[in-house]
Amino acid sequence: MGDHGPGFEPDLDEGSIVARAQDGDLAAFEHLVLTYQYRLFRLAYRMLNDRGEAEDIVQETLTTSWCGLPMLADADAFGGWIYRLATNKCLDVLRKRSAHAESIVDSDDMDAIPGARARSVGWDPAHEAEWSAEQDGLTALLKTLPPAQRACWLLREMHGRSYAEIGVTLKISPTAVRGTLARARHQIAEGMSQWR
Amino acid sequence: MSEAPLQGSIITSQLIASLAARTTLETPGVLRLEPTVQGFLARLGPAALRHLRNPGSQNGTYRHDGVTATISNGTARVHLDIATDIAFTALDVAETVQRRVRESISHTGLTPGAIDITILAIEHHRGPTIM
Amino acid sequence: MALDDVPRLGCGRSIDSIWATIERPPTAHEEQCDHCQTARTRLERLSEETRALRESDVHDPALKPGPGIKDAIMDVARAEVRRGSRILLRSADNGTTEISEQALSSLVRFAAAAIPGVHSRRCRIEIRPAASSIAGEDDPSGTAGNATTAGPRLIVNLRVAAAPGIDIPLMAEVLRHEISNAIPAGVGIGAGTVNITVEDLYDV
Repeated sequence: MGDHGPGFEPDLDEGSIVARAQDGDLAAFEHLVLTYQYRLFRLAYRMLNDRGEAEDIVQETLTTSWCGLPMLADADAFGGWIYRLATNKCLDVLRKRSAHAESIVDSDDMDAIPGARARSVGWDPAHEAEWSAEQDGLTALLKTLPPAQRACWLLREMHGRSYAEIGVTLKISPTAVRGTLARARHQIAEGMSQWR
Repeated sequence: MSEAPLQGSIITSQLIASLAARTTLETPGVLRLEPTVQGFLARLGPAALRHLRNPGSQNGTYRHDGVTATISNGTARVHLDIATDIAFTALDVAETVQRRVRESISHTGLTPGAIDITILAIEHHRGPTIM
Repeated sequence: MALDDVPRLGCGRSIDSIWATIERPPTAHEEQCDHCQTARTRLERLSEETRALRESDVHDPALKPGPGIKDAIMDVARAEVRRGSRILLRSADNGTTEISEQALSSLVRFAAAAIPGVHSRRCRIEIRPAASSIAGEDDPSGTAGNATTAGPRLIVNLRVAAAPGIDIPLMAEVLRHEISNAIPAGVGIGAGTVNITVEDLYDV
């Protein structure tokens, strides 16, 4: 991320920046906020498809991280930890949403993924125009995945997180991460094949 | 609570606080007064409401970002939370602040009491940096 | 839902194994097998779309949080800022002077920043209270009295990451020297003991 805080020393490694933030250094923490806010926002937005909620996730996650930083044993684990916090907050939001939705609508079975359904899933007109039709299709298909699968796919494919880390985040084994990812890819690819 | 005039004027803890703040900020090597969590909470809590209604009194405590002034029986005590410039020796800066604040308090006619200083941060003049 | 049942094609191969080799030319089986060919075509397209979405999301100005978000986070951090413990530097009738552990740590870090090949990490500073007399440094009763006291004795514990290939003992010695000079200059008290721990190597 090219967006650095004031007076940032460019060659400082992330472990050292995290260590300083752990000691209460605000400039170091601000650098971490600048580095991670965009990544976390992209993750949360693709999970929730709501700007306001995604901003809340970013704010809550990074605020929580400030209080929890001194307890973080390994400074190099910051990235994984912050992604874990954000992902689980997103999953909480989706759980609340679906509990709420079930009380209104009959059922909204996110596990049923016929590709055809993708077309009826909610679009976001404000942003659609900026993206190619194919990417619209991909993001629409993404919305049809069950939350854990979507998280798994986003963390791996959009954010390059490791299988081990994703496993810890979703409380499943790295093997199960592999399986979840394969199913997510399969379902997205299936959906794409039905486009034209 | 009566506010008895002293040398023709009413000296409140708020006045002492702003006097001390100004004197401190004019001292070379002081970058700023530094608000603390306690000060922040005090502003939010019931004490803050009390201060709003009675912002500084002849006998009492006034607290603002980085400065607390207490007047008791004609003696003014001040606590300052400061950030200093790394180009200066912090202990010398603190000593100068203490001397100058004492002087400015004595100009009000009150007796200067203890001037306590906490150096909360040391930074380069241009602002906080990661170095 | 069993989490480890991987989707398989009609020919028995897993989607995963095709995905894993999608950048490579098709195998002999894949060239023969209709299932594999269809799957490959779909997955190649998915791979392309995935890459394109990743690129466009990173650069999409609409996919950034509002500027107020960072400010709100930093406001909370500032309100809950951790300064560490406070160390009494001087106590006299007309007032005390304390310094926060954080102010001391930042001074230590400024000193360390002057040395190439070292990044300072966590810094803990312990304090042995100032002796109120000229007596031995180990006097445990040497708390701040009313009299002006001698400076407190600091124990600086700094953890650092070093650049690979650096002469660590030499670096530690230079670092200790730098810190031992910076504390008297910046604070006006002796540096006491400076312990350096090299905990990591950082990538250059």
